[in-house]
Amino acid sequence: MVTTGIPKLDDYLGGGIPPGKTVLYYNHPGVEGDIFIIHALYHNILAGRKSIYLTLSSDPQIFREEFMSLGWKIEEHAEKFILIDAYSSLIGATSGEEYVVDNPEDIGNIDRIVRRALDDSDENLLLCCPLSAIMDLCGVEETLKVVVGWNNMVGDRGQNIIYHFTAWPYPSEVLERIKEELFNAVIEIGGIRERVIFGQYFAVVKADWTRATGKTVLFKVVRPGGVRLYIPKILVTGPFNAGKSSFVRALSTKSVSVDRNNTTVALDYGHVDHKGMSADIFGTPGQERFDPILRMLSSEAMGIFLVLDSTRPRDFERAKKMLEMARSYGLPYIIIANKQDLDGALSPDEIRRRFNVPDDVPIVPTIATEKKGVFEAFELLVERIMEDK
Amino acid sequence: MLDYSLGIPEVDEITGGVPKGTNIMLLGPPLTGKHLLIRHIIYHTIKEGDSAVLVSTRDTGDEIIEWFSEYLEEEERSRIGIVDCVTKSLGKNIHDKDVVKYASSPVDLTGIGIKISQFFEEFIRRRQIPKTILCIDSVSTLLMYTNIQTLFRFLHVFTGRVKLAGAIGIYVVDEGMHDDKSINTLKQLFPAVFEVKTDGEENHLRILGLGSKPTPWKRYEIDGVEVVIKSGE
Repeated sequence: MVTTGIPKLDDYLGGGIPPGKTVLYYNHPGVEGDIFIIHALYHNILAGRKSIYLTLSSDPQIFREEFMSLGWKIEEHAEKFILIDAYSSLIGATSGEEYVVDNPEDIGNIDRIVRRALDDSDENLLLCCPLSAIMDLCGVEETLKVVVGWNNMVGDRGQNIIYHFTAWPYPSEVLERIKEELFNAVIEIGGIRERVIFGQYFAVVKADWTRATGKTVLFKVVRPGGVRLYIPKILVTGPFNAGKSSFVRALSTKSVSVDRNNTTVALDYGHVDHKGMSADIFGTPGQERFDPILRMLSSEAMGIFLVLDSTRPRDFERAKKMLEMARSYGLPYIIIANKQDLDGALSPDEIRRRFNVPDDVPIVPTIATEKKGVFEAFELLVERIMEDK
Repeated sequence: MLDYSLGIPEVDEITGGVPKGTNIMLLGPPLTGKHLLIRHIIYHTIKEGDSAVLVSTRDTGDEIIEWFSEYLEEEERSRIGIVDCVTKSLGKNIHDKDVVKYASSPVDLTGIGIKISQFFEEFIRRRQIPKTILCIDSVSTLLMYTNIQTLFRFLHVFTGRVKLAGAIGIYVVDEGMHDDKSINTLKQLFPAVFEVKTDGEENHLRILGLGSKPTPWKRYEIDGVEVVIKSGE
C-alpha cells in the first residue's frame, strides 16, 4: 500500500492507499494543505517507491528544497524522486529536468508527458500533481477529461495518483463532481474560522475501499516535522453551580476535577472521544475571583460551552459577562440549558427570549447528571467550530 | 471618521474615512506613484498602531524591510507582514521569517493565499491587533502569469476574507496593461477605486466609491513616506 505519510490518516484509510486507487486532497484556500503532498512524496520515496511530482508553480529546485525545510533529506534517494517540470517554460527559463512540459497551457502536452512518465515506470509508482493549478492553466473541462483518463490508466496498472486541489470558487457543479465522482478517496483540508483562520483540520470525506469516513482531525504544521495532529481545547464556562463540572464529567472518557467543598477552585479537565472527533475540555470556576483564569483559558480555546442553570434566570447577567470575557477572543459558542429535570426549568425558547440569544446560536437542553443532551451539544459545537463558509 | 483612513488628511476629510471590510482598487498608468502610495498607506497604518500585510510581486521582502527601516522602528516593522513572491521564483531558496514569508512564485496562488492567512491569524487573532490592511502590489503582475478567471477566483476569496476580518484591502492595478473586460471584471470585486493619473508633469489622485460622490482630482507629490497634496486642482 502507498502511504499518505501521516500515520493517523493511513489508519483512517484502513492502512494506506491500495494499488490502483486515486486520492484527492480537497484544500480550502488559505489552509496549509499543500504540505500533505510533500508528506506523501517523502515517505514513499523513503520506502523505495518511485515518486513523481508535476510542478507548475514552483521552480523544481525550490520544490526539492521544501523537503529540507521540514528536516527531511532526499539526496540519498534522488533516483526515486522525479519531477515533471511544467514551471520553467511558464516563466521562460530552461529546465534541467528529465521530463519537461514545453507548453503548460496545453493539456495535450501535459497529458503526453505524464503518460510517458507513467509508462516509464512499473506498478510501484506514486504520481502527485496539483489539479487546480492545471485546471487554471488548461481549462476545467479539458483538464478533468484528461484526469479521468489518468485515473483509469493507473487503476488498470496498480499505480497511484494523489491530487492536490485548492477549492477556489469554481462553479458549484465542478466542485461537486470533483468531490463526489472522480476520485476513489477525498480528504478535505479546511480551516476553522472566526474573523480569521485560526485552526486547520483534515477529514476523510470518502474512501471507496474502506468504511472509515467522517473522521476529523485538527493539525498544525511545524518546521521541521511537518503535519502534527492537534487536540482542540474547548472551554466550559458559566455561573457558579450551573453544573459545569457535571457537564465535563458527562462528556469525558477521562476527567479530573480540582475541587474543594464541591466547588471547582481551579479547573475541570476532561478528554472527549466521540464519533472520530477528540477534544480536551476545560471547565472554569464560576466565581468572579477566577475571571483571570477564564481569560487565560479562552485565549487557547477553539470553542465555548456556556452552561446555564435553567432554573436560575437571575444568574443570566453573570453568564453574559463571562461569555463576553471569553468571547473577546472571538470564539464560536453554544448555550447549554442545564438542569432541565428540575421544577421551574425554563425551556430553551424561554431562555433565548430572556437571555436575548441570537437566532443562529443553538441552545441545547441537557441534564448533565444523567448525560442527557451532552453529546448532541458536543456535536453541534464541533460542527460550528469546523464550518468553513 | 470611519474605521480606517488613508493618511492623506485632505482626502480623508472629504470621504470620511474607509469603512472596515472595504476593498479598494488602486488604479492608474505605470509610473504614477502607486507603488509609493502603497508604502505611504502602510506606513500610516503602522503609525496608527495597526498592522499591514503586503503581497509583493516586484520587490523582495528584504528590499521592502530595508526601505521601511528608514522610517519605522523595529517594533513597528514587526506589524508588517510581507508575502514575497519574487525571491523563490528566482530559484533562491530561503525559509520564512517573522516578517517575510515566501511564496514559490507569482503563479503560486495557493501558496500566496496560505501566507496571507497566516499573517491574518498572527496579527488579528494571536496578537490581538484589531485593525489590519491587505495590499496586493500588484494584481497586474499576477495577471501576467495567470488568466483573469483564475485571478478573479483568488481575489474573490481574499476580498471575502478581508470583509470577514474587518480589514481593508488595497489592490494595485496598472492601467493600460489589461483590456477593458478584465478591468471591469476586477471592478466587481472592488466597490471603491483610488485613481491616479499624470498629465506628464504632475500626478493627480481621486477616490471613487467612498462617501457620496467622487473626490475632486488633487495634485500630489510624495516626499519620503508622506503624500503631500498641492493646492489647486
